Amino acid sequence: MAVEVRIPTILRKHTGGARAVEAKGATVREVIEQLESNHPGLRAAILADGGEIHRFINIYLNDEDVRFSGALETPVEDGDVMSILPAVAGGAARG
Amino acid sequence: MAAQLIEHAQSEYPKEACGIIGGPPGEASKVYRLTNVDPDPVMRYNADPKELKSAFDDMDDHDWDPVVIYHSHTHSPAFPSPTDVERAFYPDASYVLVSLMDRQKPDLRAFRIIEGRITEMDVVAGGDGQGRL
Repeated sequence: MAVEVRIPTILRKHTGGARAVEAKGATVREVIEQLESNHPGLRAAILADGGEIHRFINIYLNDEDVRFSGALETPVEDGDVMSILPAVAGGAARG
Repeated sequence: MAAQLIEHAQSEYPKEACGIIGGPPGEASKVYRLTNVDPDPVMRYNADPKELKSAFDDMDDHDWDPVVIYHSHTHSPAFPSPTDVERAFYPDASYVLVSLMDRQKPDLRAFRIIEGRITEMDVVAGGDGQGRL
């Protein structure tokens, strides 16, 4: 299954500046593995040390947040668009 | 546009408000108010991922980028906290902070946060629809 993967600015250093790249896989996990083969460094930016999707990274398959549809095991269809968006997050200092 | 951000911050008080301003590079064109879904919304913010995707889709349709990422501090100054710096994932955007420490006198300041370094930027007030805040 070939999908288009949209890369956020902060991760384009791994894709030679490309805003979108193509990758293949039957699940989100397999797509991420192929991204890593083609663009080393991406997996560590997307997944946490325990192997799950990083808390401050959102992955969408078409319009759906994959956290609610099977996370890394979400099946991927030919022609899907996978978008990676870092969280808009922060907070005040405690004290 | 600064007035819109302050109004958003006031309407969410004491929770932190958050959102994006999209536009062509360097031009603030449209405010996207996002819902803060962090479990500790008085001290933290995390924009609703579904709304975030919708905002990015709309910006993509216009060929825009997130020009500004904004949020409020309700009990501390308008300066990026260590958490803000750690979670600043949009190096091309300006980070605008609205402080409501004194609710009668909101303070608004803008910064770039790149690889942990904070640089303050000038804010040109005006709200004239020509890219100025």
